[in-house]
Amino acid sequence: MTSAGLAPGDGVLLRAAGLTKTFRGDGVPVPAVRGVDLSLRHGEFAAVTGPSGAGKSTLLHLLGGLERPTGGQIWLGGRRVDGLSEARWAATRRRHIGFVFQFFNLVSNMTVADNIELPALMSGMTRREAARRREELLGRLGLSGKAGLPPARLSGGEQQRVALARALAHRPSLLLADEPTGSLDSAAAASVLGLLRDAHADGQAILLVTHDARVASLAERVISMFDGMIADDAILPAMLEQAHALPSVLKLKG
Amino acid sequence: MPAVIRWIRSDLRARWAQCTATAAVVAGVVTALLLSATLLASATNPWPGLFAQTRGAQIWLRLAAGTSVAGLRSRVDGVMAVAGPYRVAPATMVLAGVKAPVQVRAMPLAQPQVGRVLMEQGRWLDRPAPDGVVLEASLAQAVHAAPGSRLVLEGLDGSEVPARVIGVAATSDQGYYPDVQPGLMWVQRALLRRVEPVAGHTEEMLGLRLASSAQTGFVVQQVVTQLGSRAVLSVSTWQDVQRSMARQYPLLGLLLAVFGLVALGAAVLAIATAVGGRVLAQLQDLAMLKTLGFTPAQVTGMLVVEHAALALAGIGVGIGAARLLTMPLLHGLPGLPAAVTPLPAGWAGAIAGGTLLGVAAAAALPSWRAGRVRPVAVVRYAPPRGRLSWLARAAMAARLPAPIVLGAHAAFLRRMPALLTVAALAVPMIMMTVGLGFWSTLDDVQNHPADIGLAASVTVSPGAASPQQARRLIAADPQVARAYPGVRATALVPGETSTITTLGMGTSARPYPFHVVAGRLYRAPGEAVASQGLLDALHVQVGEFVRMAVGGVPVIFHIVGRIIEPEYGGQVLAYGMDTLSEAGAAAPPVFYSLVLRPGVTPEAARARLLRASGGRLDVETVANPADQLGVVRLMMAGLLVVLAMTGLTCVFTASLVGARDQARDVRVLRAMGLTPAQVRACLVTRTGLLALVAVGIGAAAGLAVSSRLINLGAQAYGIGAGIGRPPSAAALATAVILAVALAGLVALVPSPQAASSALTADPALA
Amino acid sequence: MRLPLLALLAKEPAHGYELKSQLERIFGQAYPQPNVGQIYVTLQRLERDGLVRGEHVIQSDRPNKRVYELTDAGRAALASWLEGPSEGQRIRDDFFMKLALSPLCGAADRMSLINRQRRHYLSLMRGLSRLASQSDRAAVIPRLLIEGAMLHLQADLDWLERCQQELV
Repeated sequence: MTSAGLAPGDGVLLRAAGLTKTFRGDGVPVPAVRGVDLSLRHGEFAAVTGPSGAGKSTLLHLLGGLERPTGGQIWLGGRRVDGLSEARWAATRRRHIGFVFQFFNLVSNMTVADNIELPALMSGMTRREAARRREELLGRLGLSGKAGLPPARLSGGEQQRVALARALAHRPSLLLADEPTGSLDSAAAASVLGLLRDAHADGQAILLVTHDARVASLAERVISMFDGMIADDAILPAMLEQAHALPSVLKLKG
Repeated sequence: MPAVIRWIRSDLRARWAQCTATAAVVAGVVTALLLSATLLASATNPWPGLFAQTRGAQIWLRLAAGTSVAGLRSRVDGVMAVAGPYRVAPATMVLAGVKAPVQVRAMPLAQPQVGRVLMEQGRWLDRPAPDGVVLEASLAQAVHAAPGSRLVLEGLDGSEVPARVIGVAATSDQGYYPDVQPGLMWVQRALLRRVEPVAGHTEEMLGLRLASSAQTGFVVQQVVTQLGSRAVLSVSTWQDVQRSMARQYPLLGLLLAVFGLVALGAAVLAIATAVGGRVLAQLQDLAMLKTLGFTPAQVTGMLVVEHAALALAGIGVGIGAARLLTMPLLHGLPGLPAAVTPLPAGWAGAIAGGTLLGVAAAAALPSWRAGRVRPVAVVRYAPPRGRLSWLARAAMAARLPAPIVLGAHAAFLRRMPALLTVAALAVPMIMMTVGLGFWSTLDDVQNHPADIGLAASVTVSPGAASPQQARRLIAADPQVARAYPGVRATALVPGETSTITTLGMGTSARPYPFHVVAGRLYRAPGEAVASQGLLDALHVQVGEFVRMAVGGVPVIFHIVGRIIEPEYGGQVLAYGMDTLSEAGAAAPPVFYSLVLRPGVTPEAARARLLRASGGRLDVETVANPADQLGVVRLMMAGLLVVLAMTGLTCVFTASLVGARDQARDVRVLRAMGLTPAQVRACLVTRTGLLALVAVGIGAAAGLAVSSRLINLGAQAYGIGAGIGRPPSAAALATAVILAVALAGLVALVPSPQAASSALTADPALA
Repeated sequence: MRLPLLALLAKEPAHGYELKSQLERIFGQAYPQPNVGQIYVTLQRLERDGLVRGEHVIQSDRPNKRVYELTDAGRAALASWLEGPSEGQRIRDDFFMKLALSPLCGAADRMSLINRQRRHYLSLMRGLSRLASQSDRAAVIPRLLIEGAMLHLQADLDWLERCQQELV
C-alpha cells in the first residue's frame, strides 16, 4: 500500500503540536482540546479512548481538517496543514485521508456503488479503476449484491461496512474513524473490526476514536484522553507477555 | 470532475419529479415569452412575413406608359422573376364624404406568381363584379371601408365612376396609407379604362423579385441604366416599404413585455424556493461531500451547473414547443397582420439567455449557502425557533383543533423560506388578478360597446340612395332603436401643423351617447367633448376653449367633457351638428349612426337595410376593438397557465420542506395520540395557510392595482382612462379557492424523500 | 474446582485423568491444560467429605486407577449449588486499595497508577480478542466465557474512567 506523496524519510505520517480548540458558543467558551501533542507513523494503528466530552471527536475533526484549530500546528506527511484554506484542506482530504463517522456516512441519493466510487474518482482514478476497486472492496465485505441499492435499503451494519469501504476506496494514507461501531450490534461490529484488522494488515495507518475497549485493544497503541488533554499514550505490550496472563481469565473456584 | 458529474446524475435520478417540474416551468415560460415576442415582432415589423407569404418583389418601378420591358430579366443580373407590368392611373376615391388619393392598378383575375396579395376580407376581383375593387388593408382602414362599401372614383379629367368594395387585401408592395400615398386599389382592366380613358395619363408598375435582397441597390442602378432615366418615374425598394410598415404598438408591447418579465420573475422566484428547499433537505449529504473532499466552490458550482442544465433542457423544450405552436396559434388571428414574421434570432437568443441567467441567479444564492455548510457529519437539521408563533397561539386561543395549531406553527417556522414562498405565490396571483381584470374589461367592451363610445354598431351612408330615402328607410326599420345623424369634418389644429377628424354627431339637443368619463356631454351649440389623446396633443383641459378651423371656418369650441373614443387614433373632437351650421361651416353629406335594439346583431341589421334599400344604401358594421384583442386574450390565458405552473412548483417545494421538518416530529406526534389523518391535516394546514396568505396578498394587491394599470395602458394608447374594470368577483373567488385547494392537495402528495427520512433511524436526535 | 468436578461425575463415574480430559474438551482454550495434580487432591478432599466414593479398579495392561462416583450427599450438594444463585465477580479491591492509599505512600501518583492499570486491562483485552478469534466457532461455551471476561474488562475500564474523573 502506498501513501503517494506523503512519505517523508522519518516515517512520521501525522504530527500535531500544542493543538487546541475552544468553541465559542453564546457566552461561555468551551475548551474541547487543550494542548495535544501526538504523532502517528505510517501504517500505525492507534486508538483514542476516554470518557465522553474528553475531546476525542474534536481531536479527530481537527486532524482531518473538519474544524479549524484555535492554536497549535499539524503536519501531514511533513507539510504544515493547520493553516490551509477550506479548499486546500478539501484537496488534501480527497487524496490522503479517509473518514468514517458513527452516523450518516453515506450520501443518501447515490447508490452504494456510487458512494464507494466517489472518493476513488475524486482522487484521480479512472472510472474503470474505480469500478474495479469498488468490486474488490464489496467482495471482501460480502456485499456485492447490494451495489445498486440506495443506502436507505441497507441495515445499519451494512451501511457502516460500506462507509468503511468508501473510506478505503482511494487508498488514503490515513484513515480517521470516529466510533465506527458505536451504533452497531455485536455481529455487525465484529465484521467492521475484521475489516479494520485486514486494512491494518495491508499497511493502512488508522487513528480510531472509541470508548469500546474491545475495539481499542485492536490497536497497537492506545491514547487516553481526559478533559481535553492526553492522559496516557502507550504501546500495548507484545504478545509474549500476554500468554502468561491469560489463564487467569477462568478461575474455577471451588 | 467525474465525481461531480456522478453526483449530478444521481441527484437528477433521485429527484426526477422535482427536476422535471423545474424544467417544465422553464419550458413554459420560454414558450410563452417566445410566442409573445413573435406576436410583437409580427405586429411591429410585419414586412418580412408578408413578403415571404406574398412572394413579393423587392423593387417596384413606376414607368412611363409604353416603356418596353421585354427581356429585362436577361439583361439585368440578379432578377429572378418579374411582376407586371401593370397599368395604373392616379385617381381620387370618395367614400362617405372622405376623399383619398389612390393609385388604381389593373390586375388580372388570376393571382400572379410574384407579388401576390393576401385577402383579409371579401374576395378578389371576379367577372360577375365589373365594378368591384379591392382595397389595400391600410387604405381600407383609414377610410373605414369594408366589403360592400360604395365609393366613387374621380379621374383626372373629372369623370366620376361609381364602384364598390368587394375585398380588402394585404400586400408587401408598398407601405401603409397614409404614410405612403397614394393608397393602393386593385381593379379590373375595364374599370381602369373607365376611370382613366386617356392612355397617355396612365403609367406602368413593374415589380422585380431578386435572388438576394442585398443586391437591391445594384439592380436598381442596372435597371435605370437599361431602361433610361426618362422612362423610370419612381423607384421604391423593400427598405422603404419595411420602414413604412414598422409600427409602434405601445400598449401591446408594454403589456406583453411586462407580463413576460413578471412571468420570468415569478418562475425565477419559484425556482429559488425549489432550490432552497432542496438544499435544505440535502444538507447532510452536502456536508458528507465536503468531508470527502469537495471544496466549497465545487459544491456551489455543482448545484448551479445542475440547475443550469435543467434550465437548458427546459429552454430547448420551450423553443421546440414555440416553434410547433407558432403557426397554429398565431396564424390568421384577428388584429394581427395576415402573415407571421419569424422571430429575429437576436430576440430568441435574448430570451433564452435571459432565462438561463435568471435560473442561474435563482440557484446561485441557495447554492452559495450550501457551499458554506460545515463539513462535519452530523448536521443539526433543526428548525430555528422553539416558541409557538403568534399565529399558532392565536389558533390555540381560538380553540382550533390540534392539527391546525401545529400546522399554523409550522407554516412560518422558517422565516426566509416562508417569505420566499409567499412572494413566489403572491406575484403570480397579482398578475392573475390583473389578467382577470383585463379579461373582464374586454368582456365589458365586447358586451357593452357603449361604454367605450361605440354605442352605435352600424353606420349608414346614403350611397346610391338620396338622403331623404336613407332617412326614411332607417326610420322604418324596426331593428333600429335610435339613429344619430353625423358628419365627419377635418379641422386644422391651432398652429396649423396637422389636421384632425372632428365629428358632428347628433344634435346638441339629442347628442350621440358618447361615454363621458370626465365632465359632461355637449348640450348647446359650441360645446364639444374630446378624447384624451386630443387633449394631450392640444395641451388643453376639460373646461377650456379651443379654436379650430373646420372646413375652412374658424370655430371656437368649449370643451365640456372627456370621452373614450377608440378610433381615429385617439384624437377626436365631437359636437352637435348644429354647432357647424351655427358657425356657418359648410355641412358635408351626413351619415347615420344606428343604435340597434338589444339582441340584434349588426350583421342582421345590415342585411335587412341592404335588402330594404335594394342594395343602394351603404351600410357598414362598426368593428369592436375587443374582437381584435382576442389574440391578447389568448396570450393572457397562456401566461396565466405558466404562472399557475410556477405557483404550483412553489407550493410543491414548500410542502416538501414542511414535510421534512415534520417528519422528525411525526413519530412524536403519533405517540402523543394524533392519528395519521390528523398528521396529514397538519401538513395540509401548513401549506394551505402559506398559500392562503400568499393568495390573499396577491389578490388584494392585484385588485388595488388592476383597474389603475388598465386605465394607464388605455391612456397611453390614447383611448383614455376609464375603461378599466375590476375582475369579476366570481372569477377571482374561484381562482383563490382553486389555488388554496390545489396547495392543500399538493401537500398530500406523499413525498418519497419525506417518507424515507421519517423511516431512517435518527439516533443523533433520539 | 470442587463443584465442577461433582457436576462432571454426575453423568457417570470417572477417574482423575478422564476428568481432566473432559474439562479440556468442554472449556477448550478458556481453560487450557488443567492441573491433574490439583484434580486428584480435590477428589481426595471430596471423598474425605463424603461427597464422592472412590473405587480402585485393577487393570491388566495399564496401571491401576481409582474411579470415583457421586454419593447421595454429593448429589444433594450439587443440587443445592445448581439451584442457588451465585455470587458475582468480586471487585478488584486490590487495585482500589492501591488507588485509595497511594497518597499516603507517596510512592506513585494516581494518574500513573490508573494509566498502568488501564494498559494492563487493554493488553488483557487484546489477548482475549486474539483468543476469541482463534477459538473454534462451534465451541459455544468457551466463546461465551471469553466474551463474558471481555465485558467484565470493559466494565473495569469504565470504572477506571470514573475513578479518573473523581479522584484526579
